[in-house]
Amino acid sequence: MPAVGRIKIRVPHSIARGQVIPVEVLVTHPMETGLRKGKDGKVIPAYFINNVDIYYGSDRITHCDWTIAVSANPFMTFYVKAEKAAPIKIVYKDNKGGVYEQAVQINPS
Amino acid sequence: MEQKDKGLALSRRAFLKTGGAACAMFLVAGSLPQLARPAFAAQKEESINEVLRRQFGGRQVSPSHVNIKAPIIAENGAVVPITIVSDLPMRSDDYVKKINVYAEGNAEPYVAGIDLTPANGKAEFALRIKMRKTSNVRVVLETSRGKLYGAARSVKVTIGGCGG
Repeated sequence: MPAVGRIKIRVPHSIARGQVIPVEVLVTHPMETGLRKGKDGKVIPAYFINNVDIYYGSDRITHCDWTIAVSANPFMTFYVKAEKAAPIKIVYKDNKGGVYEQAVQINPS
Repeated sequence: MEQKDKGLALSRRAFLKTGGAACAMFLVAGSLPQLARPAFAAQKEESINEVLRRQFGGRQVSPSHVNIKAPIIAENGAVVPITIVSDLPMRSDDYVKKINVYAEGNAEPYVAGIDLTPANGKAEFALRIKMRKTSNVRVVLETSRGKLYGAARSVKVTIGGCGG
């Protein structure tokens, strides 16, 4: 099983100042619904990311509330107006207290 | 002969009576869960209309400015890629504050709520969601001025994605 909470971020190679850029993020997570049963007939407990915070520099620019209906290994695309050289940091929190974060530096020219 | 006919008629009457009683019982039994529902509403399935009423009250949702990009047929309900695009402005005084995503056929229709700020530059977000069955994907946007905009798009699901 792959490690839970591994994050991959993709941003464009060259960014102009003021450009609105797409940021694609993938995180490894089972996103277990709590509705499925395992081979032993017991319900697999819910285990999913319910909270996502996205920071650009020191400002929180986006926040997501997720439920069990977000697919396993969540992939999302959001947009950022690249006005300053600063890191974009994504923080995921799951319902079992796990916190996973990663940042990528963007340097608009 | 006459006797026999009478007997038959009686038995048919008796049959209809008991049958009717059984039907009535079914109806009563059917309505019982309805009455008992509020007690365990948290576990019970909530319909999309109930969710929307709880979240927005009776506020008007205007069916414009929202575009949902989603497959017409999703082969796997566990991974349905959707993109929400809006042409609404993202100025500091007027921007899309929140994107609410619903899958109407799911046991829990609310999928995700995304809070945006003007720093996002444009009101667009893409996500992969799970859908239990063929139904509508519904989106309600809320702007910082308190206006609601919505859209819905039907997605055909051939394999459900919520377990089982």
